[in-house]
Amino acid sequence: MTKEYKTIKTELRLPYELAYGATWTRFFEGMQEKKIYGTKCPKCGKVLVPARSFCPKCFVDTDKWVEVSQEGKLTAWSYTNYRYFGQPVDPPFIGALIRLDGTDVDLLHLVGGIDLKNFDEVKRTIKNGMKVKAVWSDERKGHILDIRYFEPV
Amino acid sequence: MARPVGIIGTGQTKHGKRMDVCYPELVREAVMTVFAETGIDPGDIDGVVSGTMPSMMEGIALTHFYFADAMQASGKQILKTETCGSTGVSIAHTAYYWVASGMADLVLAVGHEKMNEGDSQATMTTVAEPFYQRFFIAGAPGVFSMQSQMWTDRYGIPEDKLRDAAAYISVTHHNSAFDNPYAHIKIRVTMDDVKNARIITYPVRLLDVCPNSDGACAVIFASDKMIRKLGKKAAWVKGVGYSGEEYYFGDSDKAVWQAAIQAAKQAYKQAGIRNPRKELDVAEVYNPFTYQEMLFYECFGFCDFGQAPDLVLKGTFGRKGELPCDPSGGTLCTNPIGATGLIRTAEAALQVMGKAGDHQVPGAKLALAHAMGGVDQFNGIIILGSEK
Amino acid sequence: MANKVAIVGVAQNAGCESKDNYYDQAYQVTRELLDKTGLKKDDIGTFISASSDIFHGGISCANAYYWETTGAFLKNGSRQDGESLFALFYGAMRIMSGHYDTALVIALCKGSENPSNESCTLMYADPFYQRGVGLNETLAAALQMKLYMKKSRITAEQCAKVAVKNLGNALGNPYAHRRGRYSVEDVLKSELVADPLTELQVAPKSEGIVAMLLASEEKAKKITKKPVWIKGFGSSLDSYILGDRDLLNGQLRNAANRAYKMARITDPGKQIDLAEISEPYAFQELLWMEDLGLCSPGGGGKMIDSGKTEKNGALPINPSGGVLANNPYVSRGLQRAVEAVLQMRGEAGERQVEKRVKTALAHGTHGFAGQCHAVAVLGR
Repeated sequence: MTKEYKTIKTELRLPYELAYGATWTRFFEGMQEKKIYGTKCPKCGKVLVPARSFCPKCFVDTDKWVEVSQEGKLTAWSYTNYRYFGQPVDPPFIGALIRLDGTDVDLLHLVGGIDLKNFDEVKRTIKNGMKVKAVWSDERKGHILDIRYFEPV
Repeated sequence: MARPVGIIGTGQTKHGKRMDVCYPELVREAVMTVFAETGIDPGDIDGVVSGTMPSMMEGIALTHFYFADAMQASGKQILKTETCGSTGVSIAHTAYYWVASGMADLVLAVGHEKMNEGDSQATMTTVAEPFYQRFFIAGAPGVFSMQSQMWTDRYGIPEDKLRDAAAYISVTHHNSAFDNPYAHIKIRVTMDDVKNARIITYPVRLLDVCPNSDGACAVIFASDKMIRKLGKKAAWVKGVGYSGEEYYFGDSDKAVWQAAIQAAKQAYKQAGIRNPRKELDVAEVYNPFTYQEMLFYECFGFCDFGQAPDLVLKGTFGRKGELPCDPSGGTLCTNPIGATGLIRTAEAALQVMGKAGDHQVPGAKLALAHAMGGVDQFNGIIILGSEK
Repeated sequence: MANKVAIVGVAQNAGCESKDNYYDQAYQVTRELLDKTGLKKDDIGTFISASSDIFHGGISCANAYYWETTGAFLKNGSRQDGESLFALFYGAMRIMSGHYDTALVIALCKGSENPSNESCTLMYADPFYQRGVGLNETLAAALQMKLYMKKSRITAEQCAKVAVKNLGNALGNPYAHRRGRYSVEDVLKSELVADPLTELQVAPKSEGIVAMLLASEEKAKKITKKPVWIKGFGSSLDSYILGDRDLLNGQLRNAANRAYKMARITDPGKQIDLAEISEPYAFQELLWMEDLGLCSPGGGGKMIDSGKTEKNGALPINPSGGVLANNPYVSRGLQRAVEAVLQMRGEAGERQVEKRVKTALAHGTHGFAGQCHAVAVLGR
């Protein structure tokens, strides 16, 4: 027999306020206008999305803004089917890496616009390499979910 | 060059859901075990290294304060190392460098986590980028599932074979856990159980995933001089490697995963290992997910890319295979995250010291221990040998 | 020390509240350090950072966030949690091991994004006992101050003088967050925070990204003509429960003795030319001076009265303005070391002291009433 001992139930909430800074402010202003911006590394020439102020690999300032395509190809995806406290998006959902045309890194976002309840159907529909495009929200707030999801073309 | 450093003893708690003890008591259980096992007087320890996962996991920040007494660290020099999931191996690295630099002769390393007191996936989501990525990353499984999916697709691994290989790994480790007195999950599962388990984040199913464990691990690192003085057997540190890549999930290829490849390369170079599958006798790979374990085999050069599922099904990495991986049952059966990498290190040490009991790989002389962390970013490795 | 380790370059960002994001700020400071030392990212051997999740904008596993911004992409590195002087020690150890000949050490804290220091340090308290009664660093310090004033007969005015001196010194420090010419009366009449601590005696919540490049002896000579050598370091941790501890006989002496032994310091009051001490609460500068052996036990009050610790006194303490002027919680210990380096190299600008600094001390502390201390001795 194991004896049950007491526990204390407690919840932590702490307020934080995070700075966007110049580069990300501009990126999210673009989102409000239904535009996706990247920045280009002067050394390796890669277009980074979301926009970055410097290239993480070359460690030099990026110097050029580019508006990138709203269409791209699926690199990888995962069907999420479980819940946890504070989950920002209700399951089931598809988290995905998307390579927007003309960019050199993958953008993490959602794939939607299909029936997500039926997983077998999802598996038949969603394939790596398939074309997807951004679907915008009617009300945009300069937030990453101004794009509701990417849907198969 | 660096002074030789060896591990002279390890202590683990009984891992699991440990609501019978408060957090400091759990830490103390591991620390008392290593002192009892080695006969070292806590007063002789020069320094203590501790580490855990983020504060949000248990809601206590800078836990070295809280555990000062449980670690018998009052009045001691202290370092607190944290690198997310790779914390345990990073703690081992810190302890190693402390001794290798000549600044200490005896260092106590302690890793700990009490995951049942918090919400691990909610915590893990706070690791993700707050402006762009937090909304899409479903805790740890979301990221690792996408990585696995990318790898499967890259090498055109048929789904049936993949699921068979994953199920084989799950069954093997769950069986091995019965031979490890400290392991958390002890259940017998069949291939069909694993393959038909509920989907968590496709392709990962319930029995492909590690549990939330409470547990702590304590390991004592010593200098060559001290080991000779004490007349002790040691697991000698032959190589250490660590590599990290970008925070943005999507910036780097995760199928041919450079952070894992480079970490292994650094450690192999120091240890003089050219053919890891032949030269290593056992590996404790950090395997919270069955699919990812196969990817690690490839990144660590145990086999070529895309080959792992075939070799898994042949038993190459099984208990009696060419290179047994995770004979302890691994992370898949026990995962108190801040302790996990140090448990891998302790298990590797037990193997090369011939003290692994029922899960001993006969005659093991060279072992690899590994941990992974961040948003699919970090890999740390330590290689231990029976000879200096 | 068997293998010598040098500090060959330093960089820091201004402690005022900027609108830049954390990610970019870390990049800018790293970039500045690389440019100053003439090295490329790929020349750096290993990376050790210091940060704490609780002081990290609500983003857990802090080092995941800034790995590539500090130049560590595909490099070997590690992170220290809590206090950044530890990162300096660890960086030095990696070089002393012979595995690396350079180490970039960087501390990161963006206070403007965080909850108050009191909210954060409340999270150190155990959830069963001390948290329930609201123990945080400010309450612990207030209790310690009362004990100190009574036992050592330190007056409220003497404590306030520390704030007057340090906030005045900060007028010459472009990296300071808070500065000004205040009188003892101003300090004592500022808002009461936790009796006997008033607002001007309590450090603010600041930003600080502070970086340092360490190098082996051989490598250091190739990088700079003005290396500053790490002569000794030591730390010590005290017991946890506040009531179990003697708050006036803490672990700082232990930490200092370890550093002094390594650096062959036998008479710190004479051999140390300048000290940068972490004093998140004004009176602690006096108490820590005693524990560091920079004055006699119980002599902290007399020391501040004598003017010796003024910027151009015989033993300048915190010519930068110290932590009272700038308090990026995790980064403050490394910032003390950076300030000491600038003084030794004669690069401290308006806050440069008149005397020649050959040996300097940097101190870091964190935890309730100094539960943990770290001390570094640096020499030219």
